[in-house]
Parts: sequence; structure tokens; C-alpha cells
Amino acid sequence: MDMLLSSPSFAFIQVLNSISLGMNLFIIAAGLSLIFGVLRVINFAHGVFYMFGAYIMYSVTKEFHMNFFWGVIAAAIGLAVIAVLIERGLFQWLYDKEHLMQLLLTFAIVLIMGDLAKIIWGTDQLSVSYPESLSGATNLGFTFYPSYRLMLCIVGPLIFLGLWFLIEKTRWGRLTRAATQDMEMLAALGVNVPVIYVTIFLIGSALAGVGGSLAAPINSPTPGMDATIIVECFVIVIIGGLGSLWGSFVGALIYGFVFNFGSVIVPNWQDVFAFLLLMAVLLIRPWGLFGKPEREGH
Amino acid sequence: MKSILRASVAAAFILAAGANTVISEVKIGVLYPIAGTGAVYGTPAMHGHNMAVDEVNAAGGIMGQKVVTFARDTKLNPAAAAAAAKELITKEDVDVLVGGLSSAVGLAISEVARQEGVVYIATIPKTIQMTTNKLHKYVFRTSSHTDFEGDAIAQIVKKLGKKSICDIQLDYAYGHDLAAGIEKGLARHAPNVKKLIDLRSKLGATDYNAQITQILGSGCEVVTSGLWGSHFVNFAQQAKPFGLFDRVTYVSGGEIASHEIAGKMGKDYPDNVISNTYELWYDHSFPGHKKFQADLAKRSGKKETAMWPVLAYIGVKFIEAAGNKAGSMDADKFAAALEGMTIKTPVGDRTIDPKTHQANTGQFWGPMVKKSGVDYRVMSPVTFYPAKLD
Amino acid sequence: MSWNISRGVLITCLVLFGLLVFVPLTGSKYLIDLSTEIMVYALFALSLNVIIGFSGNVSFGHAAYFAIGGYANAILLTTYGWPLIFAFPAAIILSALAAAFVAYFCTRLTDIYFAMLTLAFSMLVWAIAFKWRSVTGGDDGFVGVTVPSFIDGRVPFFYFTLIIVTASIIILWLICHSAFGQTLIAVRENLTRAGFIGVNTRMMRGIAFVIAGAFAGVAGAIFAMYNRGVYTESAFWAESAQVLIMTLLGGMYSFFGPAIGAATLYILERFANEYTEYWPTVLGLILLVIVLVLPEGLVGLAKRLKERLFLGGGQ
Repeated sequence: MDMLLSSPSFAFIQVLNSISLGMNLFIIAAGLSLIFGVLRVINFAHGVFYMFGAYIMYSVTKEFHMNFFWGVIAAAIGLAVIAVLIERGLFQWLYDKEHLMQLLLTFAIVLIMGDLAKIIWGTDQLSVSYPESLSGATNLGFTFYPSYRLMLCIVGPLIFLGLWFLIEKTRWGRLTRAATQDMEMLAALGVNVPVIYVTIFLIGSALAGVGGSLAAPINSPTPGMDATIIVECFVIVIIGGLGSLWGSFVGALIYGFVFNFGSVIVPNWQDVFAFLLLMAVLLIRPWGLFGKPEREGH
Repeated sequence: MKSILRASVAAAFILAAGANTVISEVKIGVLYPIAGTGAVYGTPAMHGHNMAVDEVNAAGGIMGQKVVTFARDTKLNPAAAAAAAKELITKEDVDVLVGGLSSAVGLAISEVARQEGVVYIATIPKTIQMTTNKLHKYVFRTSSHTDFEGDAIAQIVKKLGKKSICDIQLDYAYGHDLAAGIEKGLARHAPNVKKLIDLRSKLGATDYNAQITQILGSGCEVVTSGLWGSHFVNFAQQAKPFGLFDRVTYVSGGEIASHEIAGKMGKDYPDNVISNTYELWYDHSFPGHKKFQADLAKRSGKKETAMWPVLAYIGVKFIEAAGNKAGSMDADKFAAALEGMTIKTPVGDRTIDPKTHQANTGQFWGPMVKKSGVDYRVMSPVTFYPAKLD
Repeated sequence: MSWNISRGVLITCLVLFGLLVFVPLTGSKYLIDLSTEIMVYALFALSLNVIIGFSGNVSFGHAAYFAIGGYANAILLTTYGWPLIFAFPAAIILSALAAAFVAYFCTRLTDIYFAMLTLAFSMLVWAIAFKWRSVTGGDDGFVGVTVPSFIDGRVPFFYFTLIIVTASIIILWLICHSAFGQTLIAVRENLTRAGFIGVNTRMMRGIAFVIAGAFAGVAGAIFAMYNRGVYTESAFWAESAQVLIMTLLGGMYSFFGPAIGAATLYILERFANEYTEYWPTVLGLILLVIVLVLPEGLVGLAKRLKERLFLGGGQ
């Protein structure tokens, strides 16, 4: 606390810490939010997808001794494949069911994939190295800051821009947005709605995989790592508004700042930052900063 | 619905009927977490347990009777562990309970042991409460505890000759207890060392940047800690680019010198770390270790074995010795045999204090250094800190 | 759906009660323990169903009230030395008050937002239990609960549990089948329409939440004495998820469904623990079955089977 006030460079480093944490979380949360926006499914399994991303990165770099970059690609492809299988095999039967049943289904996936990870990768806490070129610190003039985290500060916004372009500027994006409004109308107009659904689920899940693979050097792949991340992602997308891209971006930044500055100022309450934030948003503006109020009833 | 109810009631009665068997074997109920987060520790612990049981049986069993194991998953949940412990006692009719991991699970099993009058040997939990205010006549502990661990850290800080420390702990029972243990140790060994800041991270935390930058800002020379397992891996990975390990010596409990951490981190393991472990596969300071390690390696199919098996192994060895000495698995006689008992283990002699029921479990401490020819770090020199507070 | 208790259900309940009364006579400690545990979870699941099955909301944080009941009872009995006759009701009242406080905020919301807010509150309860070490024992747990001598024993405690749980279930049944309960179902079926016909829907959902919280507190208070301890894990979201799954497995649109779900899941879990380390996968498969095949739970399945058998099926 004192350090925050007395040392401007310390305070600035905390700002960078907050942004880099926020950006890593954004990549994952954006996928969750995207899926909810179109499919209206809250995917509890998003955390376990993230975990698989981290484990795939481990296998690619440590077991097959390949480049870090290929780890990211493999995680994206791996999760895209898993996503298609799950969407076609299970999800598609449940779009007209209650939210609760969809949640249960995703929870079942969490449990089964968690055991699967245990069978494939064992129970040790693993460790992933930084890519060689990003393992050190970068001189920012007045202070040094870890290069890898600076990279996250750049990749996050790039992914944001990419998604924004895809959804706002392409024909496919327009159809997708239309699908969130009125799926039946779209189907009547001859648009292949199931393809839109599976594509969205694929992109959202691949983002979880990418997020997990990028997190792996600072977040060791280990059983149970999915539980922490899913809570953080939920908080972020609810702050921002379920289904809003801008919302998850801003929500992730808010979470990053609250977590970092909270850890400095009131360290003993680190356990509940996420839940206090969730509570505050749900009480004040349940539909989130960038979301729209839901219709009454259900 | 009727039929389902009837069927389940009938099933329950049938199960109950199977509960009574003739006593011709010694039954051990073993409780480690096997699924989820705790599996990191529970799975290797089970290897050590099973190996010890096989050894005991090969040597003729306990009192000439075969030893059998009934294993249950605690799911790292105290209520589940208590239910499983009760079931082991009432349904499987086990003679003794062994295992545990977290403090709460250890205390929950201990409570069942007290109620049911069955001996429980805690092999991993470190909570100080178990052998102090929650002590009863049927609970024994063969793992170390936080006062021993904190005392060793204080001695190391003293040897380093440094003047200031930062303490970073996980914000839960073990972290708090270890912080207290370190403070007591410092008061004993190095009263002039100044603690500059106390830092806390939540259990399961994944981001340590706020703490890392505070340590750097405080200018302390030594960091004392008890971040264990993946907490340490994450902390180290995040702290390295900040240059933290070039500026401080990191003295830590939590067994991060064990080979499961050093081996998995490989060349990523940071500099200037001094830590502890119960066992090192490459250190044969004590007689019998070489054979123990070779057997374990054969069992697990890896030359470089993990640390956790030895804890579970020692638990079984105490059961063997106490059973043979008491000549009976009767809880009171068995407990009496354990009090003051000394056995030889691959990591030194262990004696259970008759008053506190705590074994004098020392640990190996030392700096983690690079070694030519391998891509992981090893402890060198290895120093054994016996468990004593003076 | 008829809410009059059918003869078949009544007879089943009486037979079950009769069987339970004789459980201690079998002399099997294991069976007595298992029955006690199942009764506690059955009550816990039934209480949750007041929120889900009757008011139509899903709570992801029901374990909070189970934990509050447990901690309150344990602390009052042990730390303050209160007699059970005061400590037990006080624990229930505290659970109900906590539920009322949370309900005040949560009932503003519906659907997933309601669920998320209940989750957030329950994790706050968990955090308080975790942090308030001097009172709750923190994450070491509150170990060594004083249990009054008249129920300090396996058999007396079993009968104590049987009496309290049976009484609670009867009270819950009466509440759910009263005019109040019928109104709740109307609220569940159509929130907006119930509002139009002059029902204060928010108040109704709030009352349902408090009732559920109070009975979860009863279950928690019993469980604390049974285990001679209370642990933070009781308030953790995983516990809330567990009881939710029990409820859904049994069938949320039936009064007794959740109790059947609780018994089934609990027994399955205990058995799985003897044979496999992959309980999560087993549970995951059970969930898939619920979702894809049995959306109305075991009770729904039983009904379907019965219709097949007695009405000659659809052929």
C-alpha cells in the first residue's frame, strides 16, 4: 500500500501487471462470451478446454521438443476438434432444452475431460518454459518488465480486433449476429444455422485452448487448474455482459486491476475478490456493463 | 418408485450382511486423495503404501498374518474422508487407519479414530493441532510439522548471515502455521533478522505479480516461504523475468526441493533456492535407502523416483513394527506399542514421542544447484536437519 | 400433476419408515451410519427442491445454509456450551435469517443471474468460515463438537436423526401442498402470469428460499453433530453442485424425488470409492444420462415404466 503511493514506478508496474493478467484472461473469457452470445449456452467446460490447451502446450514443447509457436497452433486445433465433436455429438440435442440441462451437460464434460487429462498427462504438476526470445525482461526506459507479459498485452488486443472484425465487418459475422436475434427467421431464409453454431463453438473453444497454451509458462499445467479459471471467466463475462465482446474486454481489464491492486492493498481477501465483484455487478447491473437486460420471465 | 425403494433397501441389507468376516489377516484402511487436485500427492503416496505392504507380506506379514489394504479416496474433503474412515472401520473392519493429506482431512480422520477407538497414523498432514490441542490417545503422526520446518528455515537464514527477510505464504492453515513456526525459529536462532513484509496469496492462486513486485520493492535479502507444488512453479516462472532470484535467496519449506518439482521444472528451476524434502532418490545418506529406491524405481518404472511414496511407506512400516511388538491389533495395545517406538527407515531412524505422538521426522535441506550431465537441479550439499527444537 | 399423496406413495413411505426403525436391530454399525448419512442428504436435497421444483429458480449456493446450520450448532454447543434444545433451533433460525438476507437480493433476479448470485453469496459464507479462524477454526475445520450425552452414541443418534428428518419432511410436505405451495407452482410455471393475477412473486420466491435455507440448516446441524466436526468444504460450491445433482437425479418435479436421488447418488458414490478412482467420470456419465435420457429424474423414469406396464404402452 505504502509502496503504491510512494513509488510511481511501482504503481506503474502494478498497472502493467493488471493489464497483462487481464489480457490473458480476456482471450479465454472472450470464447466463453462468444459461445453464450450465439448459442445461449453457458459452457462450464470452458475451463477444462483451457486446461487441455495448457497440457497440449506441455506435450508439444516438452515431450516433442517443438517450438512454442506450434504449441499454440496445436492447442487451437486440438480444442477446435474437441469442440466440433462435443457440439455435434452432444450440444446440438440440447438447444431447445432448459438452461439447467445444458449446464449439467457441460458439467458432465468437465468431469469426464478432467479424468481424461489425468489418464493422458498423469497427476504431476508440470512446467512449461518460456519461448527463448521472450524469457527475459524488456527495458521500458524507467524499469524492466517481463517480455512475455508484454507480449500478452499485445496479443490480447490483437485477438480482440480480429474477433471484432469477424463479427462486425464480415457477412458471416452479420449472419451470426442475426442468429442471436432470430434463429428461425434465419433458417427460413435458407441460412445453414447449424454450421453457424458449430463454427462459433469451434472458435470459442479454440480461444480457450489458445489462452491455456499461452498461460502455460506462467501457470503450470496441473489437475484442477480448470476450476480457478472458470470462476474468473464467469466473473469477467458477467461484469462485461454475457455475449458482449467489448464487455469481456473491459471486464477482463477490470478484473485484472481489481485482483492486482486488491492483492497489494487487502491481500487477506484475495480469496473473495472475484465473488465480491460478481456480487456487485449482479446487484447493481445484472446484465453487465455492455449487455442488454434480459426479457422478463423465462 | 416403490420398486426402486424396495430394491435399494434390500441392497443395503445385503451389503450389511457381508460385513462380518473371520479375522485372519491384518487390515489397513488407507486414505489418500486419488481424484482431482490432491491426486498429485495421493497417487505417488499409494505407490509407497503398496510397496511397503508387499514388503511386509514377503517378510511374513504382521504376527504371521497377511496384511491387506482397503483404499479409499478422501477427495480432499474432510466430510467425505470421515465417512470413508467410518466405513473402513464399520464395514471392512480395518485394524488401523493410515494416510491423510490436508490439515482438515487429517483432523477429520483423527476425530473418527477417537470416536471409534481405532489408531490413525497421519503420514502427510503437518497441522500443529493434531499433536497439540487435538491430540488423543489413538492419533500418531509420522510426517514433520510446521514448527520443525520453520525452525530449519530460521537456522538456514542465520547461516546465510543475512539481515532482512520477506515472508510469503499461502493464506490458509499451513501457511499461517509455517509463518508462525518461522517466527518462533527466528526468535530462537536469529533474533536480529528483521522481517520487512508479510505477504499472502490465496490457496490455489495462479498470479503472483503483485507479491513479486512487492518483494522487489521492499529490498529484503532473503525470501522465506512455504509455497508448495504448482504454487511454487507458478511463482518461480513469474518471478524469474523480474530478476527476483538474482536479488534474493529463496528459503522455502513445502518440499519444493523434491525431485517431482525439480525434475519437472528442469532447466527452468530458479537459482538461489534452498529448500527441503523428505527424501531424495539420489541421496543414500541412510542405510537401506539404496535398496528402497531401487525397489521403488522398479515399481514405478522410472529411475528418478518421487518423494511422496516414502511417507506412506514409513506409515506402513510403523504399523508392522507396532503390530509385531504388541502381538495384537487391539487399538489400546497397538497404540501403547507405538508410543516411544523407534524404527529404521530409508531416511533415518524415526522415534515416536510417547507424549506428543509425534515422530521425530527430520528433513533434508540444501541449495538446489546445476549438475553437469543432467537437465534438472539437484540438492548439494545435502544436510539432514533432525527434528528437534532447542 | 396431482399433489394429493397417492396411496402407493404413502404406503412406500410408511414401509420405508418402518424399515428404518429396525435398522439398528441389524446390529450393523455400517448400515446405521450409512442410513444416518443418507437421511441427512435426503433432507438437504428435499430442501433444495423447494427452490427448484416449487419456485422454479436454481440455486448454486445451497450448501451455504447447510454449513451455517452446521457451524452455528457446533459453535453454540461447543464454544458456548448451550444445551441442544436451544442450540439446535438457534442454528436453524440463523440459517433461515441468512437465507432471508440472501433472498432479499437474489429474488430481484431470475434464471442464470439468480443462480450466479446465490453462488457468490455462498462463496462469501465459505470465505468467512475459512478466514474467521478464531470462531470457526478456519480451514482446519471446527473439530470436536460437543454432542449431548443422550444422543452420544451410534444408535441414539440414528433415532434422533430419524425423528428430526421425518418431522422435517412432514412439515416440508405440508408446506409444499398447502395453498402457499400451490401458488409457488403457479409462480414456477409462469412468473409473469402469476404476477398479473396479483401474486407477489418476489415475496413468494423469497419465502421459498428461506424455507429451503432453514431445512438445509437442519440437515447441516445434524451433520455437524454426526461428524463431531464442521469443515469449510461444506460451504464450497462443490457441495452445492453435489446436492443439486442429487435433486435432479431424483426428479425435481416430484416431492420425494430428491430424496431418492440423494440416496442413489450417495450409495453410488460410496460404492464407486471402493472400486474406482474415476468417480468424476462415473458422475459425468450419470449426468449425461439425466440430461439426455431422464430429464425428469428417476421418478420420471419410474412413472414412464409404470405407464408402459399398466397402460399397455403405446403399441
